[in-house]
Amino acid sequence: MRDRIQEALKRSKADYTEIRIEEKETTRVVYRGKDLETANANIDKGGIVRCLIRDKGWGITTFNNLDDLLTKVDQAYQCAQVGSVPEPIELAPVEPVDQVTTAEMKRDFRDISLAEKKALAERYNQVVLGHSDKIIDSQAVYADTFSRLILANSEGTYIEQDKPSVVIGAFAIARDGDNVQQAHETLATTKGYEYVLEKDELARKAAQKSVELLDAKPVKAGQYPVVVDQMLAGVFIHEAFGHLSEADFVYENPKAREMMTMGRRFGKGILNVFDDGSIPDLRGTTLYDDEGIPARRNWLIRDGELVGRLHSRQTAAKMGESASGNARAINYRFAPIVRMTNTAIDNGTTAFEDMIKDIELGIYACDAYGGQTQLENFSFSSGYAYMIRNGKVAEMVKDVILSGNLFTTLENIDAIGNDFKWLNTGGGCGKGNQYPLPVGMGAPHIRIQNVVIGGE
Amino acid sequence: MDILTQLKKQAEQVEVLNLQNEKTTIEYEANQLKTCTVAETKGTAVRVIRKGKLGFAASTDDTVMDKLAANALESAAYGDEAPFSFPDQKPAAIVRTFDKAVADLPIARLVEIGKEILDLVLPVEPEARCNISLERSLVSASIRNQKGLDVSFQTSPLSLGVEIDRIEGDDVLILYDQLGTTIWEKDYLDFARRLVEKLKKASTITTIKPGKMPVLFAPTGTLALGLPLSQGLSGKEVYKGTSPMKGKIGEKLFDEKVTIVDDGTIDGKFASASYDDEGMPHHRNVLVDKGVLKSFVYDLKTAAQSGVESTGNASRQLFFPPEPSFTNFVIQPGQTPLKDMLAGIDEGIMVEDLLGLGQGNIISGAFSNPLALAFKIEKGEIVGRVKDLSIAGNIYDLLKDVAAVSKEAQWVYSTFYAPYVLIPEMNVAGKS
Repeated sequence: MRDRIQEALKRSKADYTEIRIEEKETTRVVYRGKDLETANANIDKGGIVRCLIRDKGWGITTFNNLDDLLTKVDQAYQCAQVGSVPEPIELAPVEPVDQVTTAEMKRDFRDISLAEKKALAERYNQVVLGHSDKIIDSQAVYADTFSRLILANSEGTYIEQDKPSVVIGAFAIARDGDNVQQAHETLATTKGYEYVLEKDELARKAAQKSVELLDAKPVKAGQYPVVVDQMLAGVFIHEAFGHLSEADFVYENPKAREMMTMGRRFGKGILNVFDDGSIPDLRGTTLYDDEGIPARRNWLIRDGELVGRLHSRQTAAKMGESASGNARAINYRFAPIVRMTNTAIDNGTTAFEDMIKDIELGIYACDAYGGQTQLENFSFSSGYAYMIRNGKVAEMVKDVILSGNLFTTLENIDAIGNDFKWLNTGGGCGKGNQYPLPVGMGAPHIRIQNVVIGGE
Repeated sequence: MDILTQLKKQAEQVEVLNLQNEKTTIEYEANQLKTCTVAETKGTAVRVIRKGKLGFAASTDDTVMDKLAANALESAAYGDEAPFSFPDQKPAAIVRTFDKAVADLPIARLVEIGKEILDLVLPVEPEARCNISLERSLVSASIRNQKGLDVSFQTSPLSLGVEIDRIEGDDVLILYDQLGTTIWEKDYLDFARRLVEKLKKASTITTIKPGKMPVLFAPTGTLALGLPLSQGLSGKEVYKGTSPMKGKIGEKLFDEKVTIVDDGTIDGKFASASYDDEGMPHHRNVLVDKGVLKSFVYDLKTAAQSGVESTGNASRQLFFPPEPSFTNFVIQPGQTPLKDMLAGIDEGIMVEDLLGLGQGNIISGAFSNPLALAFKIEKGEIVGRVKDLSIAGNIYDLLKDVAAVSKEAQWVYSTFYAPYVLIPEMNVAGKS
């Protein structure tokens, strides 16, 4: 394969050519309620060629048949002729990498039988269903994926890397009359099969939360001081700030560039934020990104000031900055775009008790259903929440959805906890048509003043 | 050997889905024509029923058909009892989903359409940055089973999408609209004109005092009402007991102005075809008729589990088994002209787009979303854009009392058809 790829690259007439080949096997077991939905294995194999003609544009072909790479390269070159950019597209210079690596797992999930994986999902499903007679529906998921990726380009880069991943998830739906509540827990790892064993506690937690939510009252809309747990803080920094630091949002847009000027204040001096794809065994970890750039730590906010952003080679060149290792694609059907890896609010110094002790009326918001941003505006939902009354965590409330303007909200973060945690959840991030991309998130507890909470 | 023939020897029932897709995409980024992509996908998905148990497997690697067959049989060995049989072929309505004029659209013409869109937007708003995606595909699908069912179809989806970003100081405006069709539309730029009109209206920013007020959902905004409904009307959610509409067939759940139809037989729409993804005929299914719940949507499996017939609503992607899903979701237009609806509003808002749709506990009917694009209505006139507001409610309460449903309706993207819907009073939250 290496010879064929290098031969095709050599013959390309484009200014820059890149070939990525992916072979992926996936096993998936899903229980829903008392029924098994599926226990199956899929095979996905294909490739992508990207050609750049500097003063025209990009041409891309994607395909399943790998027999004729030469034709695919030529087709991509023809596609690149279609573009008509007013200024030549440059790529930030990088050192070529030649590296063949293989993943190391303690227990390789490819050696485990489908029967055993099915039994594991069934067990977690039983834990959810058996928790309470108010649980009317459940979902238990076991999914593993093993990808073997080859990336080569016309500048001499040749990388082979493996991307293993195992995810388990437990979802619980509880019902009392017309009142239907849900909760979920997931766990993901790259280290091997044994890390998803004996996780009954995770399934139980999902079940317990959904039942507790039945008795929770909807939160009263208004503005509150909000203490946010690690999970929600991680989702917040990813959704509300992380996406803005992706340079493809700003590199072609002078006004957005102004908004994201280096040195702009993005919060109080206690706030530090980074993205780091090089930390072993996190969900968004990637040895090399999909342009062959080694992952590294990129500081985004330091002492409350904007100090960096995330780049592909193209956005980096355009902005006169360096490639950051953040060009990622969900699979061979897509060209890489600027994405986060593992994004986090760095640890602070405030203990949780000190954070809530002065709050007369506030909200302790935990866990996340998801979120969305539209540049400076964001919205994200907490999985469950509690009122804070007179400095103490009080009754549970539901339907807590936080929304607001990023700049004011970051400025309103006035305490950062000393209890940093990476969250190895199994979800993914969506951008453009590319979903789900595995990303990691981390944070300590944080306190935000004056948050708008929706609700009836 | 053909995989259907091969597996027939090893299992009582077999279904083979073959999919092939060739897609050409032209992308303008920030008004510049930057990328052209040709994507080919080819894959096979197999379902088998062996010893009464259901198995599934899929692959895009056509050199490993034996492994695909083995995976399907292994899946069946650990599968659950199949409560259904793959169907015989039945007659179906003729639905137009293929147009040579779309399939043969040259790349140069797609490039030109992109320029036409820029020519509509930029004179109105020279500072706007448009990301335009122009995509035409040729999709061939075939479904065969051991009973001899052999359904195949070709579709020619064309999708034109525009995102306009305009940033002024700290004010960010992002607008998006899309045309999705499988038959050439002579008014293919209407969606872009609509977007330009919104852009013009949005240039005036005004304020409104938060509180209770009438809320007019524009067709794009009715997605907030439609998403929870489409989940609740899924036969799977009903079977699982999570749909709030479970056990309520025949009951009047909504205002009589509310009629909801699932229709996979409309020519030219993305979710349209003669047959569903299990080879069952598509129908026009009236689900809510003048406020009364009539039916849910089912595929073969959920129908059998529920003791009813499939409604022809199986939908699938290559790597997943079928699920019951809406085809085209239609909220029936009503009697009231839009101008009369506006005229009756002294002070209220019109909701065009919401942030974070679909997140939260939407099966319960609850939603709570910031408004990405909304306008203030004052004494019957749209007077400007309002910012930093959010709305929340439960559609099972809100749709019990609908003030009016407009005569005018439009396709939102490709598979959702909706009129303007006026809710007499909702809480609009924001910083006062």
